[in-house]
Amino acid sequence: MKMKKLLAVALTSAMTVSLMACGSGSTDTSSASASSAAPAAAATSAAAAATSAAAAATSAAAAATSAAADSGTLSYNSIELGTTGTDLTASIKLLTHHTDMLKDDYTGTSWSSYLAEFNKMYPNITVDIEGITDYANDSLLRLQGGKWGDIMMIPAVDKADLATYFIPYGTVDDINSTVNYAVQWNYDGQCYGIPSTANAQGIVYNKAVFTKAGITELPTTPDDFIADLQKIKDNTDATPLYTNYAAGWTMGAWDAYISGTATGDPDYMNNKLLHTTDPFRDYGDNTHPYAVYKILYDAVSKGLIEDDYTTTDWEGCKGMINNGKIGCMVLGSWAFTQMQGAGDHPDDIGYMPFPITSGSKMTATAGPDYSFGIAADTTDDNKLASMIFVKWMTEKSGFSYNEGGLPIAADDTKMPALYDSFKDVTLVVDNPAQSGEEDLLNKLNSDSELNVNNGGNDKIQKIVEHAANGDESFDDIMAEWNTKWDDAQSTEGVTAAE
Amino acid sequence: MEQAKQKETSSFQKWFRSRKGQQALVLIVFMSIPLLLLFIFTYLPFGEMVKFSFYNMKYVGARKFVGLKNYQDVFTRKDCFGALKLSLYYMVGSVVQLLLALYLATVLSFHVKGEGAFKAVMFFPYLISGIAIGFIFKFFYTHGYVWDTALTWFGFKLDQLPYWLKDQKINNISLVATSVWRYTGQNMVLFIGAIMSVDQELYEAAALDGANRWQQFKHIIMPSIKTIITLNVILSITGSLSAFEPPYVITDGANGTGTYFVIMNRIAHTSQKVGLASAMAVVLLAIIFLVTIAQKVFFKYFFRSADDEDPRAGERREKQIEKYRAKHAARNGEAHNG
Repeated sequence: MKMKKLLAVALTSAMTVSLMACGSGSTDTSSASASSAAPAAAATSAAAAATSAAAAATSAAAAATSAAADSGTLSYNSIELGTTGTDLTASIKLLTHHTDMLKDDYTGTSWSSYLAEFNKMYPNITVDIEGITDYANDSLLRLQGGKWGDIMMIPAVDKADLATYFIPYGTVDDINSTVNYAVQWNYDGQCYGIPSTANAQGIVYNKAVFTKAGITELPTTPDDFIADLQKIKDNTDATPLYTNYAAGWTMGAWDAYISGTATGDPDYMNNKLLHTTDPFRDYGDNTHPYAVYKILYDAVSKGLIEDDYTTTDWEGCKGMINNGKIGCMVLGSWAFTQMQGAGDHPDDIGYMPFPITSGSKMTATAGPDYSFGIAADTTDDNKLASMIFVKWMTEKSGFSYNEGGLPIAADDTKMPALYDSFKDVTLVVDNPAQSGEEDLLNKLNSDSELNVNNGGNDKIQKIVEHAANGDESFDDIMAEWNTKWDDAQSTEGVTAAE
Repeated sequence: MEQAKQKETSSFQKWFRSRKGQQALVLIVFMSIPLLLLFIFTYLPFGEMVKFSFYNMKYVGARKFVGLKNYQDVFTRKDCFGALKLSLYYMVGSVVQLLLALYLATVLSFHVKGEGAFKAVMFFPYLISGIAIGFIFKFFYTHGYVWDTALTWFGFKLDQLPYWLKDQKINNISLVATSVWRYTGQNMVLFIGAIMSVDQELYEAAALDGANRWQQFKHIIMPSIKTIITLNVILSITGSLSAFEPPYVITDGANGTGTYFVIMNRIAHTSQKVGLASAMAVVLLAIIFLVTIAQKVFFKYFFRSADDEDPRAGERREKQIEKYRAKHAARNGEAHNG
């Protein structure tokens, strides 16, 4: 009897303890494994220090890192691929938005083949890649949670917080000498993000449809463009301009054309826009943001878009443009390869500059896609390994070219075929904001809720709705936006002028 | 040694060994874990959210205390509070849904042929995930697709049919219909379950007294399942106040279909006004509380049972009997006179 009772108490307590342990289990085990692994790690890092001390003649920075005193001395430019860190054994984790590249049936080069190539040069660095489907939102949550891994495609964080989460690659000037388009994640003279690839903004179109409609030259002004869309409507069965309204984010893509493309001014997006009163007003010369959104409004009100825009299907549109059922779609160059792969007519797909001419020559905004950021809260060995991997991705992998992007490494000149019609177009890279104003655009976006270039899909969907229903004129919509923008400027205490 | 230890009994140990002590032990051990989980995953985040609602903040970065400004904004902004108007569509939809479910449940509880098959068919939509339903209905409503094709079989012409999601006059009704389609079966099954518990002899007795089906429904079924009806109404109304899936998946909240939740999501995630979105959530909670209490009060009045009868009802009945007698007497008098 007594034995039974004892047994019962013992069982209950065991269950409670184990249940409680569930909560703290993860930390327990990790600390346990860390302590058991610690001597080994110390041994390897000591060995690494020794070997890199031997290699110190070639790479002073690497030696300094292995000394593990100050991670600030780690720099992108001092890494020599194939020399630096070849003895380093590390296991790093990369968070990516490219979930399609994790699949074996990916039409381009998949992650596994990049990694196989990388491990030929660095056999001891293991890279674990985790794909996140809803990247823009989930990565922010992961970032806040900490301990997410070593490399991540930097999500929309405030620039002032960059140093909290990521380590710098070097000073902005140093990085700009070896890397193109590293303009997005700079703060306080330090560069925190190396672009994975870069795009120039234009319009995806079907060459066969344009030819059939009788368009011989690509349009260069909004008026030409609308006239061409009308030709497509009159002469073919294709939808002239497919908005992809229902998908939402595809409408947000229109914001990408308001800066360099519509003004030719590299300072427009991050400097002038912030200090302009009524930036959405009509400048009268078919330039500036007004002209960009006006194209959409006019196309909708003239019936040059799909019939039932509320039920558009993103996956379906790829096959439709490939088969000549769509004339064109306003999307970044990343979309080009997808449209080519969606049917039997990859050669019909073309990419043309956005039809606005602000000066003597056409211009197009070019800029970085997601950038690699390296975690600040990881070990020094992992930081070095991560930086080696990022440099390898930029210089050796051919990733940007394979994905149809502009060259990232400064000495790389290989332009993918999709930019064939951009020969006479000047590429404009948005300059970063002035120091002290790095977060101002984010703040104005949040206050005004216009979210320019930052997922402000609903404001552009509203342009389509108002144009289709005819219940608000385009000038009224722009006036509304101007008010919101001006209010946000006064909330943030920004000095603005015409 | 152990035996000796067990013999020294303090008063606590004594209590601990007693039946009461053991009961308390079991109670604490079994309660602590679920309560802890509830606290960590429900009340703690909720408390944080209430705190957030007083700040001007983003997910990352600094926070600034702004007092009640967020709440002011919720009530003054056209898109926040105005979005609640869309809930009216969903409320009307939920009434339709409940009536339909109640009707079907009653019919099916009177032993019809193929009862099981009907139940299965009607319950099925509830088993499909909301996201899948969204995609199904996006194609269903596309101009010239499923729904329009079905209507053309009945002689409608395609160019006379409206655009179900594009036309702002009817697109909310289209969306509500999807949610009615989805939840009617589930409500019906709940009702059937409740109706099953009604004593079969009551129907027999009622039938002997000459009550027809409607009278049986009104006087036997309705009072017996009032709890489940109340529950379903409360769930439907809260559900319609916080409608999210149909507009989010089918239309992305665009084209005038952005319900309160969709707007809240947009403000929180796109514009990163976490404080304002938290305030919206708190306001919605308060509204749901109010509506639930109002419903409780309403149903208490509506479904009063014979035991706690309204005292005035007795008086009314007396009066009616008086009236009837008087009328009867008068008619008798007339008959006599005539």
